Amino acid sequence: MTTVTEDVPTVAPAKHRAEVATALPPARGQSFLKLVAIELRKSVNTRSGRVLIAAILLIALAALTWQITHLAQGPAGVDGFLGAASTGVMLLLPVIGVMAMTSEWTQRTALTTFTLSPRRVRVQLAKFVSAVVLSAVVMTGVVVLALASTALAGAVTDHTTSYAGLGGQLAGAYLTVALNVVMGAAFGALIPQTAVAILAYFIAPTAWSLAGPALFKDNANWLDVFGALGRIAERDLHGMGAETLTAVGVWIVLPTIVGLWASSRREVK
Amino acid sequence: MITVENLTKRYGSTTAVQDVSFTVQPGSITGFLGPNGAGKSTTLRMLTGLTPPTSGTATIAGKRYADLPNPGRVVGVMLDAAAQHPGRTGRETLLLNASLLGVPKTRADEMLEAVGLGHAAKRRVGQYSLGMRQRLGIAAALLGDPAVLILDEPANGMDPEGIRWMRGLLQDFAVRGGTVILSSHLLGEVQATVDRLVVIGGGRIVANGSLDELLAGTGTLVRGLDPIGLNEALTAAGLNLEPQHDGSLRVDATAEQVGRAAAAAGQILIELRQSDGAGLEDLFFQLTTTPVAAAA
Repeated sequence: MTTVTEDVPTVAPAKHRAEVATALPPARGQSFLKLVAIELRKSVNTRSGRVLIAAILLIALAALTWQITHLAQGPAGVDGFLGAASTGVMLLLPVIGVMAMTSEWTQRTALTTFTLSPRRVRVQLAKFVSAVVLSAVVMTGVVVLALASTALAGAVTDHTTSYAGLGGQLAGAYLTVALNVVMGAAFGALIPQTAVAILAYFIAPTAWSLAGPALFKDNANWLDVFGALGRIAERDLHGMGAETLTAVGVWIVLPTIVGLWASSRREVK
Repeated sequence: MITVENLTKRYGSTTAVQDVSFTVQPGSITGFLGPNGAGKSTTLRMLTGLTPPTSGTATIAGKRYADLPNPGRVVGVMLDAAAQHPGRTGRETLLLNASLLGVPKTRADEMLEAVGLGHAAKRRVGQYSLGMRQRLGIAAALLGDPAVLILDEPANGMDPEGIRWMRGLLQDFAVRGGTVILSSHLLGEVQATVDRLVVIGGGRIVANGSLDELLAGTGTLVRGLDPIGLNEALTAAGLNLEPQHDGSLRVDATAEQVGRAAAAAGQILIELRQSDGAGLEDLFFQLTTTPVAAAA
């Protein structure tokens, strides 16, 4: 690690409230849109934020490369490419949501953030929106990669390509991404340590999906959030509308509300 | 102007801050002084809306902190210089805040220059020394051209040159009508910078007044050629005194009274001055240790 010597020059002390100060624009409140824009900027202006996004795109790229080189018989459908690219992405994107909420607390910047914007629920909601927007942008990058791969496969291999059902598949993918990221953000708001929140996000619903069916048979579906998200992604609820809503309510809506409440009252150290 | 009224914070059965009241007037620098764990930071966090008080109120320019529409334009706050993301550059840190405060980007660069960080603007905060982070924190606090500054231990980690620089900056800010409160446990630092003192110990305010008021009454320091003879002469004149370990005497009287008593007894003085030096330090320990001991 480099040490930085403190060779700061002596500065005349009269500069900080100079005439320029009076030229500052009048003070205005903070619009929600501004808060969202700032949260978006915060999530991409650090190395860790950029590495996470780059990692997601690289994983998609790796999956697509594998897909191109291992094409099955028959036409190469865009659905196959999109599915291959999304699998890893769906696992990592919620981490954007978790980190949007937790990084302020682990890096202790919450102190500055909430001093400059004391109405915390607004800031937290801006983080939710920013995480959803960012993940939609990243997802769009993945979609573009998948489309390019499909076209590439059509050009360099002798497979015919098909873009059937693309619209519906995209709708399902974006909706699932949004719900996953909101769920990640909710867990992050609830648990302010990044690692613990990520673990809880992955382990708690998985544990339920493993233990639930053994204990409660079909009734476990009511709380199987990953199953519910899968049905949403397929845009076919298989007649389980009530179960799907309940699972989403318990695993996504409830943690969001409790997380917002907890983080707006949490003491900033 | 800062007004704190009957602030109390309890954590379970522990009382961190008890019934704290004080005001800070525009045009003055108030030192918020106390040993570690006395409740300084808790009070400042309640003042800035980060910690909900158990009871009592705190207002800045007549408003509760959370009711300020864009607090950074009214109050500059630095509670912890380490609370900056190490992955952002100093400039990016200020640009984020500038955007939130609605001030132009050029203001961020001006503040970096003003705190002497112009050369390190594009370096990541993780590479900054603690003193440089303090400077960045002060730049961030000044960014919105506030009328009030709230600084928690701003001299921490600064070299003597940095401390002197900050003293000039704060005094200049106050001369222009600004309101400043800064906390410290470094007595010498506070003594040279502030106009007023609020001393906290064991969660309670134990002294509150101007520096002159609080330092007055610490008496006169006198040293004679014949310490024992001088001691007897002053005692005979009815003056209260306290021998110091270096052979001088601290007397609860004016220099004139001491001089007259010594002259009357024919004692030769080699030093006669108002007792300062450790004055604030004595006051500090006296004020802060007693209530804790009494409560224990």
